[in-house]
Amino acid sequence: MNGPDELRPAASPRATRGGYDRPRFLWAVTASVYLFLYAPIAVVILFSFNGIKSLQVLDGFSLQWYETFWNDEELRESLIASIQIAAITTVVATVIGTALALGTVRSGGRTGSWLGILLLIPLVTPEIVAGVSAFVLFAQLGVHLSLTTIILAHITFSISYVVVVVRGRLASLGTDREEAALDLGATPWQAVRLVTLPALWPAILAAAMIVFALSFDDFVLSFFTTGETPQPLPVRIYSALRFGISPTINAVGTVMMLVSALFIALAIALPRLLGRRESGLAVLTGSSR
Amino acid sequence: MTNAFWRRFLVPGALWLAFFFAVPLGIAIAISLGQAAEFGGVIYGFHPENYADALDPLFAPILVRSVGYAAATALLCLVIGYPVAYTIARFGGPYKNALIAAILLPFLINYLVRTYAWVALLADEGLLSSVAGEPLGILNTPVAVVGGLVYGYLGFMILPIYASLERMDRALIEAGKDLYGSPRQTFRHVTWPQTLPGVLAGSLLVFLPAVGDFVSAQLLGGPDTYMVGNLIQQQFYGADNWPFGAALTVVLMAFLMVFVAFFLRGGRAAERREALA
Repeated sequence: MNGPDELRPAASPRATRGGYDRPRFLWAVTASVYLFLYAPIAVVILFSFNGIKSLQVLDGFSLQWYETFWNDEELRESLIASIQIAAITTVVATVIGTALALGTVRSGGRTGSWLGILLLIPLVTPEIVAGVSAFVLFAQLGVHLSLTTIILAHITFSISYVVVVVRGRLASLGTDREEAALDLGATPWQAVRLVTLPALWPAILAAAMIVFALSFDDFVLSFFTTGETPQPLPVRIYSALRFGISPTINAVGTVMMLVSALFIALAIALPRLLGRRESGLAVLTGSSR
Repeated sequence: MTNAFWRRFLVPGALWLAFFFAVPLGIAIAISLGQAAEFGGVIYGFHPENYADALDPLFAPILVRSVGYAAATALLCLVIGYPVAYTIARFGGPYKNALIAAILLPFLINYLVRTYAWVALLADEGLLSSVAGEPLGILNTPVAVVGGLVYGYLGFMILPIYASLERMDRALIEAGKDLYGSPRQTFRHVTWPQTLPGVLAGSLLVFLPAVGDFVSAQLLGGPDTYMVGNLIQQQFYGADNWPFGAALTVVLMAFLMVFVAFFLRGGRAAERREALA
């Protein structure tokens, strides 16, 4: 019922000829954008299964580049390091970010609203600025660069994402149920634990999955905060790329895409699986009001 | 529940961000005024000449080029992204969510891997060259770098425009038509002003990361297309001139903050004008 038809003018088809109501032209543009977006990715995936060591000709199917990836101890360590970084970052950033969202939305007054605005700054800070500042902090503190420094930097720049996603959901909840809980004799902590948090779960989970994907994928921050070994996968890919492109990198890239896609799919699907009747996409884009 | 109760929730995050975000920026500013020590590191002091160096004829073109590439990227993203957002929002029907998710999916894939994908396509020993039968010679040109940036950030343009189109009351389009507006007029006087906030947000979200980007120029470009991000990276890895790198970082951050302030103010003024018109 909500199809495009109702949007078309009731006037004669003539009226739609010029201008911006020509879906055919618009669809053509849109289709080429999809092609532009997916063609390079498709090439990487296809050539990761190539039977020969070529980046120009496809010949046969093999998993040899995945084998090379798996048998390369450095690459395998990097993969594990990336997963560790992303997992720890996700847990810490989600807890801190959710608390911040609760604090900024629910505490009235200036502190909350000012902090709410300040929290957006990390989101618009160019990654290179973030990377350089993290680098100089650890350098001045004399901290040896390692997985820990990467995790600390990742958490810092993930908190704001959690706040934004959870805050959207929280604002749309209202305080009625919390007040009802208090009237029924709950302590404030119980009200948060038993009423507010359960209602926030879809947004919290969606935020967590986004943070995992972002952290797993991050290159610039990791580049500035990584130690010698093990380096996270994107940094390892970057070093490898300086020696030219190779089929093994295609396999690494494909695995990374799979992991990202998995977590984004979870971000979108989990809220729905939890029994809420809205998709994670709506939770993420804040259009669920 | 009292404000005091809720304010407790702010403490861990506020402390964390103060220590890991605000303090490092302060250190970067302090370093930008210092002197380079041998083999990296810094001797603190007051040496504003690091900033003069940043505007030196040798390096100023790199700053200008970064802004130019980023502006071109934002403009291209708008020209490409608006029709896509519009098509999906207005004609996507029941497939809207799937279509927009399909747009966003590639942007959630590692930027480095996606840029690398273009290297594999465009390189002289890559796929397109073999299809064309001759080396393309497109790598190391501004076209490749800006193209890489568009590929990297297009999603940031499409999503806010799509959101503002979705928020828009479609009855307004109908009203425009009922009042005998041509599609062009309806778009110009109804749809475009309504989606202006989305366009502004999208332009910012593309422009800001694009100015500081160094991956696209590093992988798809060459020395002639280096951007400020590459220059900064060099100061910390290779050139070992931290103060100069920090000064460039501060200049970049300051430029972007001033830019955001003016951009948002200009946007609000434009919205007011549209509201009055």
